[in-house]
Amino acid sequence: MRILLVEDDAEVARFVRKGLAEAGHNVEHAGNGRDGLFLAASEPFDILVLDRMLPGGVDGVRLVETLRAQGNRTPVLFLSALSAVDERVKGLKAGGDDYLVKPFAFAELLARVEVLARRPTMDAPATRLRIADLEMDLLARSVTRAGKRIEIQPREFRLLEHLLRHAGQVVTRTMLLEKVWDYHFDPQTNVIDVHVSRLRQKIDKGFDRPLIHTVRNAGYMIRAEA
Amino acid sequence: MPEGVVTPPPAFPRGEAVGRWEGMLRFMRSAGFRFALLFAVIFIGASALFALVLWYATAGSLDRQTDAAVRTDALGLIERWREGGPGAVSEAIADRLASDVEGTAIYLLLDANDARLAGNLDRWPPGLPPEATWTFGTVQREGAQIEARLYAIELGERYSLVVGRDVAEKQKLRTLLAEGIAWAAVAAAAFALLGAAVLRRAVEMRLRPAALTAQAIAAGDLSRRVPISQRADEFDRLGGSMNDMLERIDRLMAGVRGVSDSIAHDLRTPIARARAKLEEALGEQTDAETLRAAMEQGIADLDHITRVFGALLRIAEAEAGARRAAFAPLDLVPVLADVAEFYGAVAETGGQSIAVDLPVRLDVVGDRDLLAQAVGNLIDNALKFTPSGGSVRISARAPARERIDIVVEDTGPGLSATDRARAGERFFRADASRGTPGSGLGLSLVRAVAHLHGGDLFLEDASPGAPVRGLRATIRLGVA
Amino acid sequence: MVCDMLRLPILALVVAAPVFATGAEPVARVTTDSPDYCRELAQRLAPMPGARTEPARSLAEDGLRLCENGNPRSGVARLRRAIRAARLEH
Repeated sequence: MRILLVEDDAEVARFVRKGLAEAGHNVEHAGNGRDGLFLAASEPFDILVLDRMLPGGVDGVRLVETLRAQGNRTPVLFLSALSAVDERVKGLKAGGDDYLVKPFAFAELLARVEVLARRPTMDAPATRLRIADLEMDLLARSVTRAGKRIEIQPREFRLLEHLLRHAGQVVTRTMLLEKVWDYHFDPQTNVIDVHVSRLRQKIDKGFDRPLIHTVRNAGYMIRAEA
Repeated sequence: MPEGVVTPPPAFPRGEAVGRWEGMLRFMRSAGFRFALLFAVIFIGASALFALVLWYATAGSLDRQTDAAVRTDALGLIERWREGGPGAVSEAIADRLASDVEGTAIYLLLDANDARLAGNLDRWPPGLPPEATWTFGTVQREGAQIEARLYAIELGERYSLVVGRDVAEKQKLRTLLAEGIAWAAVAAAAFALLGAAVLRRAVEMRLRPAALTAQAIAAGDLSRRVPISQRADEFDRLGGSMNDMLERIDRLMAGVRGVSDSIAHDLRTPIARARAKLEEALGEQTDAETLRAAMEQGIADLDHITRVFGALLRIAEAEAGARRAAFAPLDLVPVLADVAEFYGAVAETGGQSIAVDLPVRLDVVGDRDLLAQAVGNLIDNALKFTPSGGSVRISARAPARERIDIVVEDTGPGLSATDRARAGERFFRADASRGTPGSGLGLSLVRAVAHLHGGDLFLEDASPGAPVRGLRATIRLGVA
Repeated sequence: MVCDMLRLPILALVVAAPVFATGAEPVARVTTDSPDYCRELAQRLAPMPGARTEPARSLAEDGLRLCENGNPRSGVARLRRAIRAARLEH
C-alpha cells in the first residue's frame, strides 16, 4: 500500500516509517503541512497518516479540510497528543476518518491503517458473511458452523460481525471497544478479552480449527488459515 | 488589570490626583451619574406634564368659558336681528348692558355708514376684521389698556356687530397661575437635582462592597468575598453570584493544584519503578531472552503510566466542567443495560452474577461516554471485590423530580467507614485492594462525573450489620 | 393650548404697544364706565315696578352716590345690580 506520513517529529517519523515498511507498505514522508498537502494532492495514496500539530502554517486539520474541499477522498488517520473529546470531534468533522492518540502502540497504528486503507473485505450490503465453514446470516440473526446452529447473544453477534467484516485484518481491543460498544474510554480491566474468549468458546471450541486468533501485543483477527 | 475582572465604577474616590477636566468627564460617564440624570429627566418630565394638565384645566377652562359665553351671546343677538332687524338688536344690547352685573360685556353695533347704533365701545376696535372672526384685542377702560376677547360678525347688508368680554381678571388669574407654575418648576428642578444626587449616592453605596472586593481580588487577594447585607436585594444577589464564582475559581485552582501534585508525585513512582527495572536488566549478566522480557515489561510499564495519565486528564476534564458543553439528552436505561452486559462476561468468568433492575425509561441530559465509564468503574470494582458466587446488582431510580440515582451494590466485604470517606481521593487504595491491578483512580473519576452532572457519589454498606456487609455505591445525578 | 401660554408675552407686547406704535389708531374705549351711563341706568331703573322696593332702592342710591363721588365703575355695577334686583321682584 502507498502511505503518506506527515509528521514533524523525526523520531516518531522514523519509527513509523520503519514499522510500516517492514509490514510491506510504501511510505512517503513529509515533515510539514505544506509539503504534505502538495504531495497528497499530486500523487495517489491509499491512506494518509497525519500529525495534527504541524509547523509551517498548515496544520493537520487544515490539510484535510483543503483536501476534502478539492474532492480528495483518501482515508485519513490523525495522530495527536490532543486527547480531549472536542479535539477528536474537530478532527473527524474536518474530514478525518480515524483518530489515534499519542503515545500509541505501533500494532494499534498498523491495525487501524490497514482497516482504513482497505475497506472491509466484505461489502456492506451483504446479508451473509462467511469464512471457512462459519456462516452468519445478518437478516435471520443466526450463526452456524459446519451446519450446526450456534446460540449467540446480541452483543456477541455484533462482535463476530465486526471481526468477520475485517477478516484477515488485525482488530485491536480499542477498535472493538469503539466500534462494537461505542465506548471511548479505557476500561482498566481486560473486559474485551473476556468477551472474545466467550465468543471463542462458542464458535471455536469443538470444531476442527480455530478461526479467531490472538495477535500478540495487537489484538485479534479472524481468518481461515492458522 | 487582569482580564475578566469587574472594574469598579470610576465614580469611587480613589485618592489619586486626577486632572479636574478628566475627573469631570469620568464623573459624567459613570453609571451612577446617568441613573441620576435619568431620574432627574423623568421627574422634570413628569412635573412638566403635570403643569400642562393643570394649565389646561384651569386657565384653559377659563378661556373656554369666556368663548362659550361670547358665542351664546352672539347667537342670541343674531336671532334678534332676524326677528326685528337693527332696532331689536340695539334694544337687546342696551338691555344686556343694563344687567351686566360683572361688568365685562362688550358690544358694538355699526350701521352701513359706520355710525354707532348701540354698544359700549366708542369705535370699531382697530385691526379687527369685520367678518366672523375670533380675536383678542385691546380696549381702554378708565384710562387703562386691557385685553378683551372679541367676536366680530356681519349682519345682513353691511351692519357690523362686535360681541366680546373683558378678560382682564382672567388674565390676572392666568399670570398668577403662570408665576406659580414657574416657581414650582424651579422647585421641581431643585428637587430633581437633589433626588438625583441622593439616588446616585445610594446606588454607589450599594455597589461599594462588590466593587471594593473586586478591586482587592484584582490586586491579588483571592480569599476575599463580597460582604452580603441582610436585604437580599439585587445587589446582594450580585454579590452572592460573585462569591459563587470566586468559590468555583478557588475550587478549580485547588483542582489544578491537586492534579499537578498527583502527576508530579504519584506518577514519579511508576516511572521510577519502570526505570529501575530496565536499569536492573542492563546491569546483570543477562541473555537476550531476559533482555527482551525486560524491554517488553518496560513497554507495559510505560503503557500503564500512559493510561494513568490519561485517566488523570479525564478526571481533570470532568472536574473542570469542560465537557458540559457536549451534554446531550439521552435515555439512561439502555446505557446502563449496555454497561451491565459489557461487564456481564467478566462476571460469568468470575462466577458472579449481575442483576439489573431498571425502569422503562430515564431521561437525562449528560455525557453518555462519561456516565458509561463511571458506572463501569463501579461495576468493575464490585466484581473485583465480590467473591465467586456473589452478586452485583445495578439499579436506577428517579426518587424526586430533579434527581436520578444509579445504584451498584455488591456482596463483597465492603469498605470500612474510614476507607469510605477517603475513597474519592486520587490514588487512594484501600488496604484490601493493594494487591489488585488498577490505579486507584476509578472512584475519583466516578465522583468527578457525578459532580459534572450536578450530583455526587455516595458510599455506604449494602447490608449494614450483616456478616457480609457489601458496598452500595450511589451515583446521584441532577436532572436537566 | 400653547397659544395660551404665549398669551403673557403677547399681553406684555400689546400693553407696551402704544409706547411703540406712535401714530397708530387710538384704541377703542369702553363707554359704560362713566357718570353719563350711571344716569342712563338710573333713568332705566326709575319706571320699573320694583324700583322702590328693597334692595333695589338702596342699591340705586349707593350707585348714584358712588358715581357722583368719582367711582363710576363701582356705581355702574351697583345700579346694574339694582336693575337686576328690580327685575327679579316681578
